[in-house]
Amino acid sequence: MDLTAPAIEITGLDKFYGSFHALKGIDLCVAKGEKVVICGPSGSGKSTLIRCINQLEEHDSGAIRVFGTALDDSLASLDEIRREVGMVFQQFNLFPHMTVLENCTLAPMLVRKTARAEAEAIAMRYLEKVRIPDQAQKYPGQLSGGQQQRVAIARALCMQPEILLFDEPTSALDPEMIAEVLDVMVTLAQEGMTMVCVTHEMGFARKVADRVIFMDKGEIVEEAAPEAFFTAPRSERTRLFLSQVLGH
Amino acid sequence: MAGSTFWRSKSVRGIVLQGGFLALIAAVVIGATLTARDTLAAQGLTSGFGFLRKATGWEMNFSLLPTTTSDPYWWYLLMGLMNTLFMGLVGLTGASVLGLIVGLMRSGRNPAARLLGTLYIELFRNLPLILQLFFWYAMANALPAPRQSLEIGGALVNARGIYLPGLAIGPGTVALALLAVASGACLAVWVLAARRFRRMEPQGQRRLSLAALGAGLALAAVTVLAGHEPGTAWTSWPALAGLKVDGGFRIQPEVYALAIAIMTYGAAYVGEIVRGGFKAVGRGQMEAAAALGLSPWQVFSRVRMPLAFRAMLPILINQYVWLIKATTLGIAVGFSDFFMVIASSINHSGQTFEFIAILMGGFLLINFSLAAVLNRLNRAIALKGHQTTGVQ
Ligand SMILES: Nc1ncnc2c1ncn2[C@@H]1O[C@H](COP(=O)(O)OP(=O)(O)O)[C@@H](O)[C@H]1O
Ligand SMILES: [Mg+2]
Repeated sequence: MDLTAPAIEITGLDKFYGSFHALKGIDLCVAKGEKVVICGPSGSGKSTLIRCINQLEEHDSGAIRVFGTALDDSLASLDEIRREVGMVFQQFNLFPHMTVLENCTLAPMLVRKTARAEAEAIAMRYLEKVRIPDQAQKYPGQLSGGQQQRVAIARALCMQPEILLFDEPTSALDPEMIAEVLDVMVTLAQEGMTMVCVTHEMGFARKVADRVIFMDKGEIVEEAAPEAFFTAPRSERTRLFLSQVLGH
Repeated sequence: MAGSTFWRSKSVRGIVLQGGFLALIAAVVIGATLTARDTLAAQGLTSGFGFLRKATGWEMNFSLLPTTTSDPYWWYLLMGLMNTLFMGLVGLTGASVLGLIVGLMRSGRNPAARLLGTLYIELFRNLPLILQLFFWYAMANALPAPRQSLEIGGALVNARGIYLPGLAIGPGTVALALLAVASGACLAVWVLAARRFRRMEPQGQRRLSLAALGAGLALAAVTVLAGHEPGTAWTSWPALAGLKVDGGFRIQPEVYALAIAIMTYGAAYVGEIVRGGFKAVGRGQMEAAAALGLSPWQVFSRVRMPLAFRAMLPILINQYVWLIKATTLGIAVGFSDFFMVIASSINHSGQTFEFIAILMGGFLLINFSLAAVLNRLNRAIALKGHQTTGVQ
């Protein structure tokens, strides 16, 4: 881990599902502290791309580096990268058989070998940050969707990662719960977390993104600062997409 | 008017109907008992349980503690019950371990392993259990006569049984030592799994669990030491002595044939339950665990297995109760389980009603206790709240 190197450096990334070419020569560089929002139509490869970064999907060719550590075939590099890269999923994916607190302390204790008392103190700090410290002893099934997603964010934060990946974190939520999750994400962004977010929340993109990336059919079609992206998209495909999600 | 509102009350109506139903059942049972007593008295047979103290006069071919023909019926019944429990314990444990392996093979990625698992399940699940039992028993009897015993690493195998080298201690000591080891193992699992130990450090928890296991082993060692007669040899090796085998620890053909049949047949069903349990665990939870940096083993032991186990347990309980009942097939090869002891007792004493009552009581007791313990476990580990994703 070299914290002066770019947070994420992807070059010539290809990914196939059988004969289906899901990612076509993706190049992407994310600096430390940068917030990147990825959008694009369903099936364009957004999830596949961010899931390659922590190797939930294996890529077929190209290079991925996280703070200078190359993702090669070695388990050591994978462990190192997963420790520094947290992920938040659309479906929350909390562990239903553990309390909120246990969800948050499991990985720090097993992976970072943090003592329980310390892991719990860290967990409580992050549960306070996502504004649900009073739910620590409950089980995920006893919480609302918005609360579950905030626990999932706290759980990722407890590993004290350098980078957070979000895969449509608000898409499974009822409208009234989206704001409470976005608020937490905005706070994190303001505190300088490096973030890569797949989301269609254009308000969020405008507010926090340094860069917006538009993907279609496995390719990066366009990337620009939010202002330019929303007011003067260069590509026709981007314009079409924006008119659909913004509803005009 | 008052009468009609009284009848309209749902709870009152419920109580009256339930009460009436119970009274009807009681009337039938009492009526049947009285009629049976009259009939028996007319035939010169006496009822009651006094005969339990009489000697049986026949031999039991397998028991965990010594039996002789002068032992009373109640001792034989107790030994029969112990044999059923013993066969249940061996059969269920074996079926669970083998079933877990088969189920994991079927849910894994290796095509050869999957095929093997499928073949196993199709073969053992589709042949009647009694047929499989006869097959194993015939195989056991087809082994050579004692004089041509096969020797496998110090053990002698022939048609009269398998003779294992063992410690020169009595069967009671062996039972106690095994009990100590089993208790230690249960305690160790409990320490790892129970809610009350959840707040320990993982390392400390592991150490405490190992300590429990160690204590069980130490207790077993002390039991063996105490049970060993000073001045005699420590080990007992089976050896041919004329037409029979002396020494060693004999497992009779009917015992191991039944144990193998129950294990292999049960494993086919357990294997399917295990596979279903693993299928019910959402990929999302495992991906989340992997993304947090847990190793593949940690993902399996902390997330996949605990969630799969919760999905399996309710169905496993039925399967276990069913398998315990299946041990009664042992009568077909002459394994003296509870059922066979009852059958022989009826033949020798003629006290049909009493023995059948004892038989039903015994099995109800075993299966109710097993189901009660497992249901309690099931409730204790059930997932709390509404499950929206993952575990279906
Ligand atoms: N496990 C898989 N097997 C086969 N095809 C897949 C798999 N996962 C995703 N795909 C395909 O890859 C494409 C990109 O998927 P994904 O990255 O999930 O898109 P997005 O997140 O942008 O909606 C889609 O066409 C999808 O059907
Ligand atoms: Mg997606």
